Amino acid sequence: MISLKPRSILLISAIFRVGLILVGEWQDTHMEVRYTDVDYLVFSDAASLMASGQSPYKRTTYRYSPLLAFLLIPNSFISRCWGKFLFSASDLFVGLFIRIILKQRKVPDDLCTYSMLIWLFNPFTFTIGTRGNCEPIVCAIILWIIICLINGNVVQAAFWYGLIVHFRIYPIIYVLPIVIFLDPRFFRYGTKPLLSDWTSDPGKARQINSELIDKCAVCDVWKSTFTRSRILFGLISGTVFLLCTGFFFHLYGWEFLHEALLYHLTRTDARHNFSIYFYHIYLNYERELSVLEKLVSFLPQFIVQLVLILCFAKDLVFCFFVQTVAFVAFNKVITAQYFVWFFCVLPLILPWSNMKLKWKGLCCILLWMGAQTHWLLWGYLLEFKGKNVFLQLWMASLLFLAANTFILIVLIRHHNYGPVFRQHTDLKTTKTT
Amino acid sequence: MSTLQYNRLCFHLKLAILWMLFSGAVFCIHVFASTTEVETNSDAGKFIMKSYFENYESLHDSSFEDFMAHQLSSSLCQGIPDNWNVGVRLSVRELSLVGEGSHRHLSSSIRLQIAAASIPKLPAHLCEVIVIQRLPLGVFADPFELQNPHKHKAFRDIAVFGDTNLELPSFQSNRSAVEFHIDAGFNILFMQNNGTEFNLLLPLDARYQPLDESGYSVVEIGEPDMLMRCSVEGKQHKQSCLFMSPPNEKAKSTSATVAWKIPAGMKAHAGFLSVITFVTALLSTLSIVYASMFLSGTKVSKT
Repeated sequence: MISLKPRSILLISAIFRVGLILVGEWQDTHMEVRYTDVDYLVFSDAASLMASGQSPYKRTTYRYSPLLAFLLIPNSFISRCWGKFLFSASDLFVGLFIRIILKQRKVPDDLCTYSMLIWLFNPFTFTIGTRGNCEPIVCAIILWIIICLINGNVVQAAFWYGLIVHFRIYPIIYVLPIVIFLDPRFFRYGTKPLLSDWTSDPGKARQINSELIDKCAVCDVWKSTFTRSRILFGLISGTVFLLCTGFFFHLYGWEFLHEALLYHLTRTDARHNFSIYFYHIYLNYERELSVLEKLVSFLPQFIVQLVLILCFAKDLVFCFFVQTVAFVAFNKVITAQYFVWFFCVLPLILPWSNMKLKWKGLCCILLWMGAQTHWLLWGYLLEFKGKNVFLQLWMASLLFLAANTFILIVLIRHHNYGPVFRQHTDLKTTKTT
Repeated sequence: MSTLQYNRLCFHLKLAILWMLFSGAVFCIHVFASTTEVETNSDAGKFIMKSYFENYESLHDSSFEDFMAHQLSSSLCQGIPDNWNVGVRLSVRELSLVGEGSHRHLSSSIRLQIAAASIPKLPAHLCEVIVIQRLPLGVFADPFELQNPHKHKAFRDIAVFGDTNLELPSFQSNRSAVEFHIDAGFNILFMQNNGTEFNLLLPLDARYQPLDESGYSVVEIGEPDMLMRCSVEGKQHKQSCLFMSPPNEKAKSTSATVAWKIPAGMKAHAGFLSVITFVTALLSTLSIVYASMFLSGTKVSKT
């Protein structure tokens, strides 16, 4: 049993991250291999351009919202490390928000602590922020949206959701589960929704589950689509998104729209990455892909997302997790930074999993890391040894997809599915009489 | 969580973050001195390649040689009678490719020779050697890598011109060139009879190549173009002018190229690969759908 207090954990994590940033600066200055992510240089250059009144899109490969460049303007006059500290602070907020969410759902203290540690001391996540990658900001906002929703604060959730979709397109995949989640039986005007508490008893969880399982989530949506909460969420998030997009379009024109939005919607990359589609794209790069080919590559993603939403939307946090894993796994381009998108939600679902670390959990971890390492080995031979191993690398990406699919299925099987909210007693009484 | 606790938490968090930022900023500014940064494309009149791209849209050997022969001739040093008497000789002693894989270094050893009698005529402390390395379609120089001060502190300036898009494959990109400016003053003053040498190490990256049945594509990189530029006293003010090696010494030998073998995709893979890719995606999809609907804790039942 871990006896560390949350404050101590956060303090140690903060000191550790400050140390990493400083070591990273030293490494950048004195060693050939840089610690800092090349993307951080892109953000910083864009921020300098913005600070001097120019468009951040004059910087080639800057494909983010101008908001990010704005946040990094102090890089130019305070310190070039400003952005790294900002991202690392967001990283710490993610750890804090994990604890807040779990405590609100009455998860025991030791499980909360373990969940915090899984995020804060995961080597993958603490290097992301300290190297200058902006994903921790996205993760922190997504978790904050979850906090707002479970506290019934729809307006604030909608505001942040509109903002984060503008900032980073991928959270758009959460819109349908959020709409389903805003069930009028739980979200009633003037009343805070009632949270379902954590329980370690799978039998009790299933009992809670069966009280509220409906005929079909789709039927729910169509029956009571236009509720106050849903309309409010849609209007506010849509307005925030359009305002931000419209404002920056006014400032930077089509260049902003293309680089920050359209590029991500249509992105294909022929260069090797974890996606199973990379070699197919490379072999067909010289010709335009047919409509059928584009549709066939989009369908798996679409079907998986739809089914996961319909099955798990009521358990919103778990739905976010499985959707994100599937979204990344079936995407046409997969880079390592995308893994952070589901890593931040993973600690939130583990208290509801009846999978033991020994040995099933450990096997899943080793399988995922093994499949990744296998891919990286072939990638190393291609990129750093100049061997033609495209075929082997593509097969490694197939194996990686298989590993992701298997682990996702195992997590689904071992998850104690339970809606985040329970019904208000008066409504339940009315239904039973 | 009560409102008071929440507010207290927010306050403590803000303090912690501010402290972290402040201490980190102090360290970053004071402990690690900022290093000189390599300017890229900063001075409009300084770079010869910038002048080239003001007249031509893209880099072609014929256009570039035409530019060097005709447009630069007006910049040759006029004040010193008969430019060639200065006896400037710039030659490539060795050209090689160092490393393996998609990221290598082009190593060039350049010799500068000036006739002894001419050295006093030159404003040595105001001279720089300009080296222009034209790159073929299949490779590019990463401008961000060239900004690494650890590697390039010996150069006065470095810049990349042309297509600097790092992501495009070679069949969708254009050529680029790298221009180095090296301070020659010290070397000229203490030049030995056999001249002085400069060593350049240019980091290069391979683009994705057009498909090839053999599975590899060969890219050839030739010798760089070299000049010397000095600031001389003109009639009214200081101006810079160029020295070039005599024309009969400028012809490059065809053997002075390096070949880089880069992996390329094979068309023969296209047919079966697409089928297997989509079948795998479909199988994964069906597995996840089945697990979600029948193996999870969700139940579809009437209440």
